[in-house]
Parts: sequence; C-alpha cells; structure tokens
Amino acid sequence: MAGWSEKILDIDLNTQTYKTYPLDMEMAQLFIGGRGLGARLLWDMVGPEVDPLSPENVLIFTNGPLTGTGYQTSNRFSVTTKSPLTGTVLDANSGGFWGMQFKKAGYDVMIVRGKSAKPIWIEIKNDVITFHDASELWGMRVFELTQKLGQNNNRRNVLCIGPAGEKLSRIAAIMNDRERSLARGGPGAVMGSKNLKAIVVEGKDRPAIEDPDRFKFMLYETRKLLAASPLTSQALPEFGTVVLMNIMNNIGALATRNHQQTQFEGAEAISGEELTEKYLVKNSSCWACPIGCTRVSKTEKVEGEGPEFESTWAFGAQCAIDNLPAIIEVNALCNDLGIDTISAGSTIACAMELSEKGYLDSDLRFGRADQLAPTVEAMAYRRDIGAELADGSLRFATKYGHPELSMSAKGLEMPAYDPRGMQGQGLLYATSNRGGCHMRGNMVGLEVLGLPKLIDRFQVQGKSSFVILHQNISAAIDSLVICKFTNMGVAEEYFARVLSAVTGIKYATGDMIKAGERVWNLEKLYNLREGFSREDDTLPPRLLNEAPTDGPSKGWVSQLEPMLKEYYRGRGWDENGVPAQKKLEELGLMNLM
Amino acid sequence: MPVVKLFANLRKLAGKKELSVTGTTLGVVVHELVQRHPPVGEVILQNGELGPHIVVTLNGHNIMDLETPVMEQDVIAIFPPIAGG
Repeated sequence: MAGWSEKILDIDLNTQTYKTYPLDMEMAQLFIGGRGLGARLLWDMVGPEVDPLSPENVLIFTNGPLTGTGYQTSNRFSVTTKSPLTGTVLDANSGGFWGMQFKKAGYDVMIVRGKSAKPIWIEIKNDVITFHDASELWGMRVFELTQKLGQNNNRRNVLCIGPAGEKLSRIAAIMNDRERSLARGGPGAVMGSKNLKAIVVEGKDRPAIEDPDRFKFMLYETRKLLAASPLTSQALPEFGTVVLMNIMNNIGALATRNHQQTQFEGAEAISGEELTEKYLVKNSSCWACPIGCTRVSKTEKVEGEGPEFESTWAFGAQCAIDNLPAIIEVNALCNDLGIDTISAGSTIACAMELSEKGYLDSDLRFGRADQLAPTVEAMAYRRDIGAELADGSLRFATKYGHPELSMSAKGLEMPAYDPRGMQGQGLLYATSNRGGCHMRGNMVGLEVLGLPKLIDRFQVQGKSSFVILHQNISAAIDSLVICKFTNMGVAEEYFARVLSAVTGIKYATGDMIKAGERVWNLEKLYNLREGFSREDDTLPPRLLNEAPTDGPSKGWVSQLEPMLKEYYRGRGWDENGVPAQKKLEELGLMNLM
Repeated sequence: MPVVKLFANLRKLAGKKELSVTGTTLGVVVHELVQRHPPVGEVILQNGELGPHIVVTLNGHNIMDLETPVMEQDVIAIFPPIAGG
C-alpha cells in the first residue's frame, strides 16, 4: 500500500542480529505513523516492569506515510521509548534529512532492542544492515562524529549520541544531521544504555505515491498557501522562532529566573531582532521545506544552527542572562554534547535558585553567563555538580529538599510560556502525556498571536475545548509526520487530502483528527498503566499559588483545577482522568484493555 | 503622550524601535503612526482595520478594538505577523 513501506526492521543488540517483517497495516491505518505508530508498538513491548535504562526498554524509530514523499516539510521522524526522565511514554520528533533517508531505506519502523556488549554503530543501506565496532568513537562529540561517519545531507545521514547520552544523562538528546535533535525526555540516555553510538542511513527507494497527479496538485496548492501566508513566507524565515521573545515578555508570560517572575528586563538583548541584526549569517532549512526558519548564527567562537526560541529562553530569561553570544555558544555546545537545551537551561536555573536561597552550596547565580558553558560541560560528562544536574531539575531539587523549585510537569522541564499569563498553556502542560511540553498543542497561537483567532488568555471557562482540539491535531500531525509550522499556513483539511492522495485511503479531516485523539488516549492509557494518576496532571506549586506582583499578568495564578475538570469531561474521561469505556470503544482501543 | 513600540520588521520600516504618538484612542494613534511611516501601514492595516495576525497590546494586554481609549502614559506595542515555538 503506497505511503507505507509495510516493513519493520527489528534489531537485537544482544546478538547483533536483525530481522524484518511486515507492518500490521490495520494498525498503520489506525495510528498512521510517527508518534502514533510508535506509541502503539511501545504499548505491546514495554510494560511497567521495565526500567527505562535497562536492555528491556526499546527505541522505536518511525517515519510516516508523508515522510520522504517531497510534500512540504515531509522530512520529520520520531523516536518512541519509555522516558528515563519522566517514566512516561515518550515521543521525540526531529527534522533535518535523516527521516527522509530512513524512509528511502524501505522501512516504516526500526525497533532497537537489547544492549550491545561493547560500543557499536549501525549502518543501514536498504536491505544491508552492518554492525560496526564503535569503541574508538565512544567519547566523541556529535559534530566530529557526524563528519567522521560521512554525513552528506541528501545521500548519507548520521544519527548519534554525544557524551551526555553515553553518560546516561536523563536529559540527553539523540542528534541527527549534526544539529537536529530528538531532544526531550532523555532518548539519548536510552541509546547510551544500549551502547549504541550511531545509526547511519543511506536509502535508495523513492516512496510510492498512490495518486501522483492528485499529489502534485496538493504540492502546488500547499506551495501557494505557504507563500501567501505572512507567517510561513515572512515571519518565520525573516526572524526565526526567537522573534517570540519580545512579545512573550511584553504580555508578561515570559518565565524568568526559574519562573520567579514573568518578565525579563534583558529580553530585548536576547530577542530575535537582536539575533538577526548582529549574529545571523544565513537561513537554513530542512529537506523539502520552503519555510526555512532555521537560523545559522555566528559569534567569535562558534558558527552553527540556532538557537531557537526555547533554547534562547532557557539559557536566557530563565537564568536571567542577557548575553546573547554566550547563549548562542552554549546552544552549540549542547548540540555537540547531545543534551536537551530546554531541560539543561531550566535545570541550571533551578540550581541557581537553590543556591541563591541557601539550599545548595554552590556559586551558581542568576545572571552569570560565564557559568553556562562550564556547567553544561559538567552535566554532559557528569563531573562535579554536573553529575547530579545531568538527571534534570526534579531529581536535583528533590535531592536538595525542594522539589517544588523544579519547574517541570511530570518531571519534564517546561518551556518559556508562563502559565500564569496563559491559562490554556498551563492546562496543556499539565495534561501533556510526555510532561511539560509546548509541542503538544499550540495555545500560544490562540492565546497570544491570534492564530487562527485570538482568544482571551486569562479566560478559564471553555478553554479546555481548545486545548483538546489542538492536542488531537498535534498528535495527528506528529503521526503523518510533518512540521507543525506548515499548519500555520495550511489547514488540517489539506493534510487529510494529501494523506489520501499518497495512501489511496480516503481520509476526511475528521478521520485524521480522530486518529490524533486515538493516539492521545493511547498515550494516556500507557501512563496510567505505568502508575501515573490525576495527581500527576499538575503544575509546580509556584504557578498555582504565587501570583506575579507586577506586569500584565499581575495577580494571576494558573486556575488549573476547574480547567482540568472540564478537560476530563471534554475528553470523555472520568473525574480521575481515566478514559471511559465508551470513549475507548469509540476509538477502537478496547482491545488493549 | 502614549509610546508606541515596534517589533520585528516594523522597526526597519519605521527606522526606529519606538516613538511617541499623540492620540486618545488606539485608532487615532495607529492613524498618526502610519501617516508618519506609511510603510508600516502597508503591513499592519487592511482596509483601514488591523490586518490578520497583527498583534497590538496596550500595556501588555491584547487589544483588537481601534476605539479603545489610550492615556498619556500608556505603552502600545505593535507586532507584525510572527510565529514560533
């Protein structure tokens, strides 16, 4: 069936063997691909008894029916695993080129099980799978390794871990194409626990498309829409994602000093405008992407991709640092070491607050740009205080007696948007199945930017319906897999039409969003099976109890409780957040119970 | 006099980051702004109204209605279409 290769590559590192077998196409049609298919496979393979860093955990790499087709932004892929940071289901998603190459190698899914006795790397050339000794590569940083293994954007693509993954940092990323990352939740540590340093892919097969004429028409339509949208044709290419810094600060929803404030006096100095004026070298883009939001920036010390908004915020406002060159440099360092920028920055900010309050004996202080790079280095290599910081803010703050100072949800550090200034965003973080995440629905668009239409950011009643809809859409897009930025210029309806053209299966818009809802409910079931409960759908006490004393969000705390009740009802779940039988029947998930 | 702060490409179009503009409603302030800097008007106005995805805040609160009164000490921020995540 076009769209899917209908083939799973299943690798056992214990024996350095592999097998291939057909993808269950009924499952594929229900869960589409990417994040959805990964969650469905993880459900069967990794239960509550499995330690995320044990050989029994798996890495499930997935692409989707649109990946590699040439549809705009069809470069993305996913990795699914049980998170060593949160213990939840984890899907991390990345762009670049590797996902396209993986699809061209002829697989929808690659499962990596077990643990190699010694460091290893894997080379995939369609049906030829080779296991290589990686003893001499162990310890190598990402940039050097990527080059050494022959990265060539359109022909041969490298996915790997850096020192942080080798040292089992629970906030370690898997990197691909040098500077792209499957960042959140610690998938790099899972790869490190398997002694797997890299996976290099060369593919030669173009994905089949069921209705090429209709597909070409959809390419044409999408190109027109992306060109007509000021967001995808001007805003993202011209200023990149960091342009959000000033507006979030302006409305008083820019988390600052470990969420002690909601406005940062140095925001202008770390803004997208500043980055563009002083440090931008050129734009860059992922495979098949006409948007080109990537910034290549340069300081006296480094030149490379980024930083994105969240990375700039994490090492900037969250640490009260207004030194943009230092932020650009620590962002590049994180990429080279293979560590999640959001979690790294927010964990350092947590340690800064612990130190300033006298709970931790260290010299870490807000505003100290000179401390960023050495602290990240220490985290990646588990040296000195970095040995403890490497496992994220919640474990660190708990060790020092103040878990409430970890700005995380379910243990995953939250991004820049302060829920006290955006009520829907708080509900989004609290209910996100992988923990505090901004990519599980776009409330910033609705509550701040007016995309597609502005809603009152302080409104509580009725907010859950927007969150639910956008969570479902987000899960669907993550399963196709394409970039969510495409959705800023192109409505979901077009994605359903192109999915139909590629696969030959008639998907209405509602079918696709229903698949997203199915994925969301499955992820919820997974977390419930792991022992998560209503008490875990929450936010740090600071956001629920401490209102900002000045700025546009003055006097507001997150009104989570009423929104959560409404959310559970809207989802068809009971008062404890457990999906009701009727909902599971509607979604075809009863067979899992 | 209310202060108008400009962001992203509006700065380039106006040649400045902020300016003081006379006016008692948001509409009057915006009208005065685009009189002084016509290229800004081409981005933010459509048929005399704020264009789609134009974000205007008054002291940090999103405002859509051009009839909204403004005071001497108010700060108005205007953003062209922006996006990110």
